[in-house]
Parts: sequence; structure tokens; C-alpha cells
Amino acid sequence: MRCRRAQRWMVATVDGELAPRRRRMLEGHVASCPECRRDLAGTGAVLERVAGLGMECEVPSRLEQATLRRIRLLAAAEEERTAARGWWTVFRAPALALATAAVAIAAVVLTRGAGDRLPVASRVVGQRRVAAEALARERSRMVASREGGAVRVAKNIPAEPPPELAAAPELFMELPILRNLEKLEHFEAIRTTTLDDGGAQSNG
Amino acid sequence: MKRVGFILLLVCVLGGTAVRAQQPPSRPWHELSPEEQQRAWENYQRYQQLPEHKQRSLGERYQRFQALPPQEQQRLRQNYETYRGFDPGQKQEFGQKYRRWKSQR
Repeated sequence: MRCRRAQRWMVATVDGELAPRRRRMLEGHVASCPECRRDLAGTGAVLERVAGLGMECEVPSRLEQATLRRIRLLAAAEEERTAARGWWTVFRAPALALATAAVAIAAVVLTRGAGDRLPVASRVVGQRRVAAEALARERSRMVASREGGAVRVAKNIPAEPPPELAAAPELFMELPILRNLEKLEHFEAIRTTTLDDGGAQSNG
Repeated sequence: MKRVGFILLLVCVLGGTAVRAQQPPSRPWHELSPEEQQRAWENYQRYQQLPEHKQRSLGERYQRFQALPPQEQQRLRQNYETYRGFDPGQKQEFGQKYRRWKSQR
């Protein structure tokens, strides 16, 4: 497996959503690649800290768009640099961390005027959450779309919903449940499943 | 014998009607609260990004979900809320347990 593919699968594996076969491939690669190991640890730490933040707040859609645009630019620039200079991959993890920090700072600066009524802490936390989510989204976008996280951002609802949405709005309200129906139906059985020989499982 | 069969059929039909009558009818869009509309709209956008076969599968699951008794639907919603409350470590562990559980089935 190449580092690039490993990078793409990291978010999914941190979320426990990577298929067992891919997870084993990723684990195999990470075991032999110190750069990806470091990157995986960094990804896990970022997502863990972001998910650990208990506060959410709505952000203007313009801010979201601006943030995503900025992340895309940063990602494109990083990709270009990586392609141009192989040795640059050594600095991939720090660059990613810097990009995250830059986006978080940009988000704070951009909304200072728009959301003055919100407590500063709320704003920062919310924007960090959006930034980290966008970062995760951007990384996964390179390969395939993956399920969105729990981030709440303001979206403009159209005055008239699309026919599909108007026909069965509750289908879409229940979408997360439908996507995890099997897990939720057997929730207790799964929770009580033991992982005593988990090491053997993850390698087998 | 025919009469017994007819009575059994009637009981089944009426019983089925009664169960369906217990389920709340699907609400139209304009009856959803702004928060619910927001949630439905965001999920709709995610849904649009899914490949067609997954969209079809979700439609089938929705039919299945709707056919469940209200108590069962409520149980699934509660389970989902519990899952949402998990921290990343717990989610990861749950994912591992799910894979283990599935492989044991």
C-alpha cells in the first residue's frame, strides 16, 4: 500500500468505519511506515479533540464556504508541493497541522464581525469543529465520499423543498438511523460482544 | 371449517389495521418544525451524494423502519442517541465489536 492511500483511509479507520480488510491493510502499512504512523496518530488526536468538544454553534454559510475554499486551496497547494518534491512528504504531518491551525484562525477572524453576540468560546469551539470536519471531509474527498460527521452547520433551506424531500421528509430526518439500522437493531448484543481476543481479530 | 378460516382472516386483517393505526402518520414537509426541516435538508444533501444503490437500500430500510411498531422505532432512536453520545474511543470500540458480532453471526 502507498502512503497516499493510507492517508485517505485514516479518518475512516479512526471513526471505526473502515472495512476490516482495508483496516488490516492500513494497519500493515502503518506498522512499517513511521510517517504514516505519525500521521495516523495526529489524525486520531485531532478528531478526538474535536469530537470531545461539547459545544456546537451555527456558523454562517458564507463562512463555511470560505473555510472550505481555503482548505481546498491549502490541500491543493500541499498536493502540488508533494508532487514536485518527494522529500517534502517528510513534513506532511506538520503541514497538515499548520493548515488546520490556519483554518481555525481564519475562521475566528472571519466571523469576528458576523457573530459578535455569541460568546467567544462558543464561536471558537464551533469554528474549530467546522474546520476540523472540513479538513476530514477534504481528506476523504480525494478518494471517495464518506459519511458526514456530527457537525452542525447552517444551511439555507430552499423555500420549496425538492420533490423527493417533500414526498418523504421523515425518511431524511431518520437518515442516520436508517444508515445504521442493523447496528441499532442489535445495539445491546453488539455492546455486550467481547473483544478478548481482539488482537487476533484485528490481524485475522 | 370455512367459517373458522374466515374469522381468522378477519382477525388478522383487523389486527393489522389496528397496528398500523397506532403508528403516527408520516408528516408532510410544512408540518415539520424549522429544526426538523433543517435536519431533513442537511440529510437530503448527504443522501444526494450517495450512489444510487445505496439510495435504494435506504429507501428499503425506511419502509422496514416504518413498518416497525412505534415502541421499536423509539428503541432504535434511543439507541442512536446513546451511540451519538459515545466518545471517539467508545465509537471505535463499538465498531470493532460490531465487526466481531457480525463475523460471529
